Amino acid sequence: MTPFELAEPKSLKEAVGLLDADDPTIRPIAGGTALMLMMKAGVFRPSKLVSLGGIKELRSIAIANGELKVGATTPLAVLEHSDEVRNHAPVITRTLRTLSNIRVRNVATVGGALAHADPHMDLPPVLIALGARVVVQGKKGERTIPIADLFAGYYETVLAKDELIASLIVPAQNGRRAAYLKCTTRAVHDWPALGVAVSLATEGNGIKDVSIVVSAATETPRRLAGAEKAAQGASDEAGWRRAGEAAAEEAELITDAQGSAAYKKQLVRVHVARALRAALGAE
Amino acid sequence: MRPARGHDGISVMATRTIGSGQVGRSVPRLEGAAKVTGRADYVHNLRLPKMLIGKIFRSTVAHGRIKSIDVSAAKALPGVYRVVTIDDIKAVIPHPFYGPAFHDQPILADGKVHYVGEPVAVVLATDPHIAEEAASLIEADYDELPAVFDEIEAMTSKAVVHDELKPAGTFPDLKHLKGKKDTNIALDFHLRRGDTKKAFAEAEHVFEHTFRSQQVLHVPLEPFVSVAELTETGLTIHTASQSPSFVRIEIARLLGWPENKVRVKVPYLGGGFGAKLYIKLEALVAALALLVQRPVKISLTMEEQFYTLTKHAATFRIKSAVKNGKVTGRDCEVWWNGGAYADIGPRITQKSGFTAPGPYDIENVSIDSYSLYTNLTPAGALRGFGIPQLVWAYESHTDMMARSLKLDPVDFRRNNILRDGRAQATGTAMKDAAIEAVLDRLALRMNMKAPFDRGTGTLKKGRGIAVGFKASISPTTSIAIVNIAADGSVTLYCSTVDMGQGSDTANAQFVAEILNVPAESVKVVHPDTDVTPYDMATLGSRSLYHMGNAVRLAAEDAKAKLAALAREVGVPEGSNVPVAELFQKKYKMQAGNIIGTGSYIPNYVPPDANGLTPDATPFWMVGGTGVEVEVDTETGHVKVTKMINVADVGRPVNPRIVETQLSGAATMQFGFTMQEKIEFDGGQITNASFADYKIPSIVDIPRTMQNEAVESEQGTGPFGAKGVGESGTFGVSPAIANAIEDACGVRLTELPLTAEKIYRALRTAQGKPLED
Repeated sequence: MTPFELAEPKSLKEAVGLLDADDPTIRPIAGGTALMLMMKAGVFRPSKLVSLGGIKELRSIAIANGELKVGATTPLAVLEHSDEVRNHAPVITRTLRTLSNIRVRNVATVGGALAHADPHMDLPPVLIALGARVVVQGKKGERTIPIADLFAGYYETVLAKDELIASLIVPAQNGRRAAYLKCTTRAVHDWPALGVAVSLATEGNGIKDVSIVVSAATETPRRLAGAEKAAQGASDEAGWRRAGEAAAEEAELITDAQGSAAYKKQLVRVHVARALRAALGAE
Repeated sequence: MRPARGHDGISVMATRTIGSGQVGRSVPRLEGAAKVTGRADYVHNLRLPKMLIGKIFRSTVAHGRIKSIDVSAAKALPGVYRVVTIDDIKAVIPHPFYGPAFHDQPILADGKVHYVGEPVAVVLATDPHIAEEAASLIEADYDELPAVFDEIEAMTSKAVVHDELKPAGTFPDLKHLKGKKDTNIALDFHLRRGDTKKAFAEAEHVFEHTFRSQQVLHVPLEPFVSVAELTETGLTIHTASQSPSFVRIEIARLLGWPENKVRVKVPYLGGGFGAKLYIKLEALVAALALLVQRPVKISLTMEEQFYTLTKHAATFRIKSAVKNGKVTGRDCEVWWNGGAYADIGPRITQKSGFTAPGPYDIENVSIDSYSLYTNLTPAGALRGFGIPQLVWAYESHTDMMARSLKLDPVDFRRNNILRDGRAQATGTAMKDAAIEAVLDRLALRMNMKAPFDRGTGTLKKGRGIAVGFKASISPTTSIAIVNIAADGSVTLYCSTVDMGQGSDTANAQFVAEILNVPAESVKVVHPDTDVTPYDMATLGSRSLYHMGNAVRLAAEDAKAKLAALAREVGVPEGSNVPVAELFQKKYKMQAGNIIGTGSYIPNYVPPDANGLTPDATPFWMVGGTGVEVEVDTETGHVKVTKMINVADVGRPVNPRIVETQLSGAATMQFGFTMQEKIEFDGGQITNASFADYKIPSIVDIPRTMQNEAVESEQGTGPFGAKGVGESGTFGVSPAIANAIEDACGVRLTELPLTAEKIYRALRTAQGKPLED
C-alpha cells in the first residue's frame, strides 16, 4: 500500500463535493471491507479516499409512509438487529445472519454492499426481489434508482464517480412472502456460487405475482421473467420445479472457480424450486 | 480407555497417570496463559534498531532463463535502501544453494527461474510499504522454456526442470541420493518382496485403481518470518522454524563458518505443520544482513505462502491380487509431484513410500515410488508426510474391493490386517502397533454391524471407515539437558519447537515425573542454538518419542547425580531431605547446579537393494477414522454428520492434548478432503488468497467429532508414549469417500470431494453425464 490522502467530510454534500467524476483514483470509503482488500492486493491504488464514517445523517433506520428507509452507512450488523427491519421484511434479517461473518457485518455498510457491485453479494438479489430502490446524491442533486437497475455489469454500477448512495428504501411488502437461498460450493462461509431470492404474493394455494432473482452465478443479479411466468399459479412441488426448470433455461450462467456453468444450471433448477417452497413456508 | 462424552460432542479422554502422577495427567499447556493474553513471543513482533525490511520480487513465468532484471525504477524510489539480486548474494555466499536432500535451491533465482512465484530479487527499505511498492517496479525479462506440471508427464517429459543435480548428503537416511541426470526424477525408490507375478497369476480376483490427491497448503496463521542480525561473534537468526539445529548447520555450511558463529533462536510458532522446516527465508535474510551490515527482516504475506511450499500432489496406481478373501499380492506405483526444488520430497518418497501397501499382511509386494521435479511451487512435508496421500488410495481401494467381493468392509480388513510380530512390506516385524485394536474400536464406536438409516428422497445417508499407519522417520537424533538449580527448581534445555502441539508441556511432564516435581514448575527453555543442544527437527511426530527419550535420559542422569550428591553430603538413600539442603550442605550457600544430559538415536538398518530392512523404524503410528454422511443427490453436497477418530498413540502423556491433536489433525485433513485445492493455470496459481482458497471454519467441520486413543504401550517410548501429531489425518479422506459411495453409489478417486464432482458422478451413473 502506498500513501494516499484521507478526507473526512461531515456532510453528504461535502462528501460529494470531494469526489471527481473523471478521477477513478478518488473513491468513497465506508466500512472498507472490500476496498481495503483491493488496496492490500494492489488492485486499487487511491490518491484520495473520502471517508463517509463521519457523516451522521447517513446512519439511520426509519419507517416512513409504510416504507423502510435505511441510511447508506448503517452497518449491516445494525440492520441485522433492527426490529423495524425484521417487522418490515424479515427476509433481510435472515439473509444478514448468513452474510459473511460478524466481524464483517459490524463494519460493512448497506451502501457499500450495493455500490461495490460484486455479483456474489447477498443483499442485492434480496433487495431487487423486494422492489427496493436507492436515493443517490450527486453534485446536481438527487435521483432515485431501482436496485434492479443499479448494476451495469461485473463490479459496475450506473452510478457516476461523483455520486453517492444516500439511502435505501424498501417499499411496504403488504403480506408478501420472501426467501433467500445461498448456495456455496467450497465452504459454508464462502461467497455464494448461487444466490436465489424470491418474493411473492399468494392467491389461494397458488403463487401470484412473484419476483425471482438469481445472483452470484450471473454477471449481475438478475430477475428471471420466464421463471416468474412459469411460477404463476404454482401450488405444489411440480409447479415449483417447473419454475426451477424455466429459471435454469433462462439464466445466463458463468463458469468460475465455484463451479461450471453446467453445474450451476442444476443448482439454479434446484434452488429456485426450493426458494419458492421456502417462501411459501415462511411467515 | 473408554472416553466420556464432552459438552460439545467431543469425547474427553480418561486420565491414566503413573508413578508421581505427572505423566498421564492433562496438565494445562504451560504457555496457555501467555498466548491467550497476547504475551507470547513471536518473530513477527521482533524489531531491531536500524532493521531493514525485505520485500520479494517473484517470477511470473514457470520456467525460463533470465535475460535481464531491471531494478532501476525500484532503486530510484525514495526510501529504498538497496535492491538485491543473486549476483549481490554471491559476494557473501559464493555457492548460494541449499536444501535438505539436494542443494538445488538458490537463495534468489540464479540464471533461471523454475516456478511462478520463485524469488528473483529483494528490495530493502525501512518502510515495508516503500519496499513493497519498489518490488512492484522491478521488471524481469525471460526466455521462456518448456515447462512440466503434472507428475506423470514429468516421468517422460522433454522439459527437464534442472540441468544439474546436486545431492546434499546431509542426512544419513538420504546419503544414497543421486538423482537421475537429464530426467525429472530426484529419487526412485523400489521395493520387491516375495513374488507378485505369481500372486497375480494365481489370484481369483485382480483389482486395479488409480487415485490422485491435490496440492494443498499448510496455512499456518503465522506466515514465514525470519530476521538476521550481525553480532560481534557472528550472526544471529531469529526465525519461525521447526528445525533450528538444521538452520544453524546449513547457514554455517553456506558461509563456510563454524557452527558456533551462527546462533538460531526460535520463540513460539503460530503453527508449522511441516512448512517451516529446513531453510525457508533464513539463508536469504542471513545473506542480506551480511551484505548491508544491518539487521534484515522478511515476513511473508498469507498469499506468499502459496509460493513457498505446498503438500505433494500424488498419483497412486494400486493393484491387488485376492484369493479366498485374502490379499496375496500388491503392486504400488506412486508418483509424487515435488515442484521445482526437492526440499524433503525424496524422504517422503522413500519413507512414506515403503508403507504404500497399507497396514495389511501381504506376502508379495512391489513398490515403485518416484520423487519428481515439476515447474510448480516446491512441495514438502505437511502433517502426515505423504501418508494421507497413500491411505487415501489404499483404503479407498480396500473398500472398492470389499464392495465388489460383497464382503463386509470391516471383516475384509480384519481378515488381512497386519498383526504384531508379522513382517511389514520392508520385512521389518511389526511391534507395538495396535492396528487391529484401532480397527476394532472404530467398528464398535461406528456401530458398523448395526442396521443403518439410509435416508429418504433426495437425501441419502452412508457410512465408511479407513485405517492407516506410518513409520517414524529414522535414524534421527535428539539431545536434552536438565539443569537443577541450588533451590531445587528445574530447567529443561531442548531444541524441540513448540508450534502449538504442546511439546513444552509434554517434555516438562517427563522431567517432572522423574524428578518428582509438578510439571507446571519446570521451565522449558526455547530453542536457541547457543544454549539448547542439537535436535534433528520438530517433524513427523518424532519429538515426543525421540526428544522424550532424550529428556527422560537427561532427567534420569540428573536424578542419579542428585543421589550421588546426597551420598557425598552424607544423606542416607531414600531420605526426603529437600534438594536445596543438599546443595547447601555441599556449597555452604545457595550455589551450584546439577546438569543431566541425555542423547537418543534409535537403531536403524538402511534398506538393501530390494528396499528391505529388518529395522525400518523405531515406532509405528496408527490412525483410523469413521464417518457418517448425508448426500444431497440433487446438488452433490455432502454433510459429514459424525466423525470418530481412533488412534494408537502409545500411552497418552497428556490426554487433553492427545485429543486436540487428533481432532486438529482430522479437521485439517477434512479441509484437504472436502474443499482445499491449489488451482494452477499453466503453472500460475489462480487462487492464492483466502477469498478463493477455503480452509474449513467451525461451520464446515462435522458437528459431532469424537476422538479416542486405544489402550496401548510403546515399549521403547518414554513412559510408553509415541507421537500423535499426524495420526488423526490418516483415515479421513478415504473414510469420507467410502461413506459417499455407501450413501449414493458413486466412487470418487480424485481429491477434493467437491459437490460438483459428486453430482457429475451421479449423473454419469444415471447415464446422463453433465456437459463440461
